[in-house]
Amino acid sequence: MKEVKGLVVTGFGINCEEEMAAANRLAGARADIVHLSEVFNEQVSIHDYDILNFPGGFSFGDDLGSAKVLGNKFRFKRMASGKLFLDELKKFLDEGNYMIGVCNGFQALVKMGFLPNAGGHFEQEATITHNSSGKFEDRWVTCCVNPNSKTPFLKEIITLDMPVRHGEGKLIFKDDTTRQTILDKNLNCMSYADKNGNPTAEYPQNPNGSELNCAGLSDPSGQVFGLMPHPEAYLSAYNHPNWGKIKRQNPEMSDEGAGLKIFKNIVNHIKENS
Amino acid sequence: MDKVPLKYSGLKAWEIFISESQERMSFVVKSDRIEELFKMASDFEVELTDIGQFTDSGFLDLRWEDKSIAYLDLDFLHDGVPKKHMEAEWKKPVVTEPTLKENLDYNDILLKLMGSLNICSRESIIRRYDHEVKGKGFDSFKGIAVSNGILPKFGDIDAYEMSAGSFDEAIRGIIAVGGKLPDPKNSENNFWSVNDNFCVPDSAYNPKSNPDGKYKLAQLVRMNEALFDMSTFFNIPMTSGKDSMKNDFIKEGIKISVPPTILYSVAAKIKDVRQTLTAEFKQAGDLIYLVGKTYDELGGSDFYKLFNEIGANVPVVRKEDAQRIYHKMMEAHDKNLLSSAHDLSDGGLAVALAESAFGGEMGVSIELPDNELSVNANLFSESHSRFIVSVNPEDKDGFEILFGNDVELIGKVNDSQKVQISKAGKMLIDLENEALLNAWRSGLVF
Repeated sequence: MKEVKGLVVTGFGINCEEEMAAANRLAGARADIVHLSEVFNEQVSIHDYDILNFPGGFSFGDDLGSAKVLGNKFRFKRMASGKLFLDELKKFLDEGNYMIGVCNGFQALVKMGFLPNAGGHFEQEATITHNSSGKFEDRWVTCCVNPNSKTPFLKEIITLDMPVRHGEGKLIFKDDTTRQTILDKNLNCMSYADKNGNPTAEYPQNPNGSELNCAGLSDPSGQVFGLMPHPEAYLSAYNHPNWGKIKRQNPEMSDEGAGLKIFKNIVNHIKENS
Repeated sequence: MDKVPLKYSGLKAWEIFISESQERMSFVVKSDRIEELFKMASDFEVELTDIGQFTDSGFLDLRWEDKSIAYLDLDFLHDGVPKKHMEAEWKKPVVTEPTLKENLDYNDILLKLMGSLNICSRESIIRRYDHEVKGKGFDSFKGIAVSNGILPKFGDIDAYEMSAGSFDEAIRGIIAVGGKLPDPKNSENNFWSVNDNFCVPDSAYNPKSNPDGKYKLAQLVRMNEALFDMSTFFNIPMTSGKDSMKNDFIKEGIKISVPPTILYSVAAKIKDVRQTLTAEFKQAGDLIYLVGKTYDELGGSDFYKLFNEIGANVPVVRKEDAQRIYHKMMEAHDKNLLSSAHDLSDGGLAVALAESAFGGEMGVSIELPDNELSVNANLFSESHSRFIVSVNPEDKDGFEILFGNDVELIGKVNDSQKVQISKAGKMLIDLENEALLNAWRSGLVF
């Protein structure tokens, strides 16, 4: 069977690369953590990989807004040989590969126009700005998956608990047309949910006031997926703040965290389609 | 010194030498690897500067554009500080136990305690930091338990007991979650580390500017005596620390000094995080036990503070009792006899019960033990080395045989979402979780 390979980028203030690499590995992929400079200097090629992981962090200190500098770097950076990095990313998707961005990585994908990419032109169609609460917050939320979403990342997931850890997580779409296209194409693949598992605008279940209660987006192909919550922070059942009670009431509780499912989904999907 | 990169121009050489600017670090690199390191720094867009080298001259040799600006003997730098002689004088403060009125409204008192600053939720601060990043838990189940002890409120009565009690508070936090005391015969469990963090007033006596300096120094001495006694008794090393020794403030001629304070931050190895235990009640029907002995020790308590009293009976650490109880707790953890464990601290038994009840979204019904202590002491004494634990009824016999006289069965977990505490059939506290939670959350909001 094909070995699935995940590239996890780091550097410039990205700080969740270890957890992202572990998520890839526990899901059955090989994972390499690579400094972005090594990619730009063409010591490492993204085309040798199946999954490109953009982890969370505070790239460039969140100056100019979260992931604004990182997004621009991805958009406009010329690599050592003069090739535009953006073209390499497009080619990576044309080859049928996958990208996932979490938190700061998701903010970068949105600000560089890879998500939601409803128009298919890699133009910025949404932004992610300060939470309605006006505060950075670390709290666990429940998310529900849009049953009509076709991204393989979310296959067979109905709801999922994960932590959000951000000050700028509020998604705002460019205009009504974009918003409608997102709904029509089910690109709003993941929403913040209430205790019954239904999308909610109520704080703090919806921690940031995102439009469409949106926690995550996919592109129309389903190859690119990004979300504000951190699935890679729930690889072990013991990461969940309520694990003690869950285990007392179900002593057979698995050691595995539910966040791993997203990564298992994509690794298995690549294996099955290779 | 002229090669050191600056954020602001115009700094003098001595300012550059002692500046504590953040986000910098120094490396020592073998000369044949320098080129490689500079290449790597350049690739990763990290600013790197070569600012000097080690010599065998025995001198610190600072230069500015090759001109010598300081030349100091290393012997002087290491050992040149003259020894200070200071005077300390310990006089036990004259304190007495207050007389409180009878028939107190314990519902009202518990709600006030839940919202008081030593006890209330720190959620408004904790949520605003990413306290999960790099919290891995995927490639091994080894872990580190982290705990703190800090009880400056006891220092007005006795700085020794304040320091010893803080140390015990930090240890019992580790024991509650399933940590093991150091065991020199078993190196597997041997990793413990304590950081001491002193924050004290100026203790250099001066008849005019610091007339009570001798007493303040005696407090510092007693804090250190307790540190020594606790650390050597429990065989726990002090691996690092920090001190801030002149915390006094003068405004409009009035001097305000901090109470002598010590914070112990403890880290201990956990062999398998899957065996750890959380503090909240988890299952209706579980039995609730009070582990350890309660004494009439309301001195310095948060309960007395509600009445603007300090009292005299400061909680005392009984090291041998503590050690025996901690070993029993360790065995109970190993035998999986516990459903929850919460150490008792600020606010005593009543506060710990409330926290474990709303923490697990459960209820409790408690009958206080029949003993010679007052209701106030039973509910709110802050005696050290105690826990409340909940136990699956199936494990009742095994648990009681293990602990013997060191525990008392005081009640049961239920689904009521209420905290109900009675003594000799008389209801003392009857509160909804929601009321307790709201009070607890309202203490520190901004």
